[in-house]
Amino acid sequence: MPEIRRRLPVVAAALLAAALPFLLDDFWLQTGLFTMAAVVGAIGLTLLVGVAGQLSLGHASFAALGAYTYAWAVGETDGRAAGIGLPPVLGLVLAGVVAAVAGALFSPISGRLRGIYLGLATIGLVFLARHLMVNLQGATGGFVGRSVEPFSVPGFSFSNNDPDYLAVAGVQFEGLHRLWYLFLGVVLLAAWLGRNVKASRTGRALANVRDSETAAASTGIHVARAKATAFVISSAYAGVAGALMALAYGRIAPDLFGLQLSIDFLVMIVLGGLGSIAGAAAGAAFVVILPLVLTQYSSDLPFLASPGSGGLDAATLARLLYGAAIVAVLLFLRGGLAGAAGRLRRRRALPDPDDPPPAPPPPAGTGASPSAPHPDVPTRSKETSS
Amino acid sequence: MPDPLLSVEDLTVEYGGAVRALRGVSLSVEAGSVVAVLGSNGAGKTTLLRAVSQSLGSVGGRVTAGRVRFDGRDLARHDASAAVRAGLVQVPEGRRIFRDLTVEENLRAGGYTVRDARARRAATERVFRLFPILAERRHQRGGLLSGGQQQMLAMGRALMTSPKLLLLDEPSLGLAPQLVEQIGDIIEQIHAQGTSVLLIEQNAAMGLRVADRAYVLEVGVVSTRGSSAELAATDEIRDRYLGVAAPDTDHVVQDAPPAAAAHLQRSTPARAQELRVEDLTVRFGGITALSGVSFTVGAGTVHALIGPNGAGKSTCINVLGGAYRATSGTVHYGDAAVTSLPAHRIADLGVARTFQNISLSLEASVEDNLLVGRHRVMRTRTSAQALRLPRARREERAERAAVRRIADLLGIAPLLDRAVHTLSYGDRKRVEMGRALASEPTLLLLDEPVAGMTHGESAVMADAIRAVQRELGLSVLLVEHDMPFVMGLAERVTVLDFGKRIAEGTPREVQRDPEVLRAYLGTAAA
Amino acid sequence: MSYFLTQLANGLSYGLILGLIAVGFVIVFTSTGVLNFAHGSVLLTGAYLVAVLHDPIGFWAAVVVGIAGAALLGVLINAVLVRNLAEANPGTAAILMLGVDILLLTELTRRIGNRVLPIGAPWGADVVTLGGVTLPTSRAVAAGLAVLVFGLLWFLFARTGFGVAMRAAAADGDTASLMGIRLSRTGAAGWALAGALAAIAGIFLASFPAPGVAPALAISAFAAIPAWVLGGFDSVVGAIVGGLIIGVVTALAVGYETQLHFLGRGLGEVVPYAVMILVLLVRPSGLFGREEAVRA
Repeated sequence: MPEIRRRLPVVAAALLAAALPFLLDDFWLQTGLFTMAAVVGAIGLTLLVGVAGQLSLGHASFAALGAYTYAWAVGETDGRAAGIGLPPVLGLVLAGVVAAVAGALFSPISGRLRGIYLGLATIGLVFLARHLMVNLQGATGGFVGRSVEPFSVPGFSFSNNDPDYLAVAGVQFEGLHRLWYLFLGVVLLAAWLGRNVKASRTGRALANVRDSETAAASTGIHVARAKATAFVISSAYAGVAGALMALAYGRIAPDLFGLQLSIDFLVMIVLGGLGSIAGAAAGAAFVVILPLVLTQYSSDLPFLASPGSGGLDAATLARLLYGAAIVAVLLFLRGGLAGAAGRLRRRRALPDPDDPPPAPPPPAGTGASPSAPHPDVPTRSKETSS
Repeated sequence: MPDPLLSVEDLTVEYGGAVRALRGVSLSVEAGSVVAVLGSNGAGKTTLLRAVSQSLGSVGGRVTAGRVRFDGRDLARHDASAAVRAGLVQVPEGRRIFRDLTVEENLRAGGYTVRDARARRAATERVFRLFPILAERRHQRGGLLSGGQQQMLAMGRALMTSPKLLLLDEPSLGLAPQLVEQIGDIIEQIHAQGTSVLLIEQNAAMGLRVADRAYVLEVGVVSTRGSSAELAATDEIRDRYLGVAAPDTDHVVQDAPPAAAAHLQRSTPARAQELRVEDLTVRFGGITALSGVSFTVGAGTVHALIGPNGAGKSTCINVLGGAYRATSGTVHYGDAAVTSLPAHRIADLGVARTFQNISLSLEASVEDNLLVGRHRVMRTRTSAQALRLPRARREERAERAAVRRIADLLGIAPLLDRAVHTLSYGDRKRVEMGRALASEPTLLLLDEPVAGMTHGESAVMADAIRAVQRELGLSVLLVEHDMPFVMGLAERVTVLDFGKRIAEGTPREVQRDPEVLRAYLGTAAA
Repeated sequence: MSYFLTQLANGLSYGLILGLIAVGFVIVFTSTGVLNFAHGSVLLTGAYLVAVLHDPIGFWAAVVVGIAGAALLGVLINAVLVRNLAEANPGTAAILMLGVDILLLTELTRRIGNRVLPIGAPWGADVVTLGGVTLPTSRAVAAGLAVLVFGLLWFLFARTGFGVAMRAAAADGDTASLMGIRLSRTGAAGWALAGALAAIAGIFLASFPAPGVAPALAISAFAAIPAWVLGGFDSVVGAIVGGLIIGVVTALAVGYETQLHFLGRGLGEVVPYAVMILVLLVRPSGLFGREEAVRA
């Protein structure tokens, strides 16, 4: 019974997501696609940052790799950019695999640095990726980027044709509708896999590495390999997310995959609550939808000025709300949206309205001081970025 | 009679709302006196000092009842800095000098609150007179000093503010006997110059020698108090620190775990092997933590490593577990050279350990923490688990059952779903022990398994260790201060003092060894 | 040869400016444990104040206000936001600073718009030539001033009681507070110093190569991150050396881009990060850092 109740919200959300294409116009469908692409990337990042305690600002570079891999694998060589014309399903898988391999190549750094130190090192990847995107013109189209073949399986295209007309319950299914279900399928798969990994032997090992590397090693966990594994998994997610972005945009260019995208991914999982998969989805929705909606409906908001006039335009307002949301969550909402939801649930379940005790201190009550007895021995302190 | 300089009244301190480190502790320090607080690891001694110096916050502790009055003022609502300005300075345990700063700069940092340059110069001169060696090395970096010199620097640094009350946290920790003597002399000199001292010690001999009055703290409660002479005359101190009285092997067992009901099985037929430690030396900078230590733990035996604080016991465990590197010497487990392996490979040999300061994932459930121990036993790959293939689910179910058996054995089965941060200290110790057992070790390294436990709790733990040891044929190497516990459990005992092995034998032999008596109780007692 | 020397001088002076910024990263990090992603917008704030005020109150007065304003902004960010984090750890603090950066940068971008505000420096676009080496006057002044600032920092940290207290607090905050050192004060001082250093760097970056203050100036603080990481996270000397290395490598990569065309266009942007990654592959803790700091 509690099992059913626990799953109910997930099932309800999935059903709602499946019903939405019948109700929404093209703007919202497009927004939904962007959101779902981001959700996949955010789930991967929350496994890395939330579960394993490793910060990454290089997520955008793996998304870029996935996006260009997909575009190259599925595209045909034309005057502007090369391609090898693989079936799109294969291209999608390849996007994840290539990104994972790139993540594995970064193992000497991702396995050795921890927490925010890794975060700083990964900034380099974004600039490296941009350099490659701009300069490997044959495959990427350089500054202007390249177009992306629509998704299809034999006999069925996720675009406006083939079949040219498809209707379900009187609603005509165009490319956006068809893509919606593809994306929804990928999101559900990503969430399911992510949840399984989190609750598995590997997930427990990652969390243990986050909490204490010494203790983890003493139970036989290869710490460097565990950290590198988390990085590879998260890279694969980013690669698939990049491929979905490519499909949603229809055209990709280096500017889509700048440092800002890495920051966006990080903000999504922080707003949602580190380590929470549902939280990652909620955070992704907020970060993606806010600017799009404000821009779309800016003419309906009387206090907004037109862009470039120096007043408060929609893009500026979106940025301010975005920054303010980050600051507010970190100051007032311990554990992000997921943490708040958890407290709300417990509050309803228990008559006692008190919050659970805060995260406890370093091992207490021992006569020994919390620091290492010999300061030049590596202090195995609990320093995580969660 | 005037108010005491320091009075602690009914003090209760909690960590994270879950662990209660002190319960209703009261003590007082009269102006111009030296007071010692004795007690074993985990008794709450450092917590008491931190509560007095208003520095609990940085370790997540909170005073939940009682108060601390110093020099006629209630110190609550003041921060550590205000306490220093009021004339109360703490020398932290383990010295904690600023290693990259020179001796002079360390003193300057200590005298930070002294605004008057002339007073600061005078204080520096006084410190240099007290510790001439520091004057010689004034331009050297603190990290290059020897252990004894670092202790002097730590004390000198605290004296820079000319405090009314000096709080010393285990000044004898890890120092050679003649240095302990010297530190004792210096405390007497400091006292003679008009500074009162509150001293925390595990070295009872040292504590009682310099103090006028002493308190004994046991698991957060003051169990005994009196003048030093009175306490030195009682057998209690002697018993507690050495278990000199006949080892009481038939403890009254409370909450005995249903040891017979739980049967642990091995998934592999691994057998315990001999652990040989040969000529092991470990140096940290200028400090030698272990020097040329050798001993052998026979396959399937319980071996104890004892010695005063700072003797190098934990260092030894840390080398055996791969957390520290040996400077020289070797450790073999069976045929494998442990000293050349990284920690996770050592674990793969069947070596599991617990930590002195407990190292669990606090947010995770007890069950998940125990399952981490199964990491090495479990075989399915990440991909299989991500896809929840049947064999992954089967394994997960089997492992949860295995973990439940371990929890039953240790009496923590009812806690399996609880998050660790809601557990008491004793329960956390048991969970950590469970995690070690979960990895199906053939050699168990236990770093103070009963520190901070009550007598009853430690008896339960002893029974549990005995039960698993017999059932699984493990070797156990344990480090402990609780002498009755050690004497009742261990077949052989190795005694370390100042990084050297000073005795080895059966518990009975070791208890009579004059060297050991001297190490624990000081020359007078031997 | 003189072309090489010119590029070298250019790189060294740029490196000293990067060093100013990188030292700010180090000081904030060691004094409060915060990875200050808002450093760039603090830098921009300082330069913006100078650009707006140099006309009404004169350049040098505007410089003083700009430096003080950036320092104050840093102190406020620390006091109002960082110290009130719901869960204080290096990870959340770093992300908080991303949020602060977005807020500051958005507001400054709105104020500046598409304009490029002249900084009003007296040296303008002049150049100095010495023994065949040509350097913009702005860069020459920057180099001299940076060396002076580093000298003052050395005096502060080695010779004054408060500086020693800051180092003690950075090395072991818990023990330092037992000595009566207030970590809130050393932290505030760290943020103030970092803000002031960033403002100085910003003023020089806004006179050359950029013709004035534009929002893109904030990005230049990011260019100091490789310098900081290279130096080893917690070392002031490391940050300065890291700045010099990155400055010289960048200048040479740009100066010899035509010869290096096989490495692609826009080499100057990627070279600092490539150097950083290469160094980390060999020494994960940077050139001057302690291994245990990053590797647990």
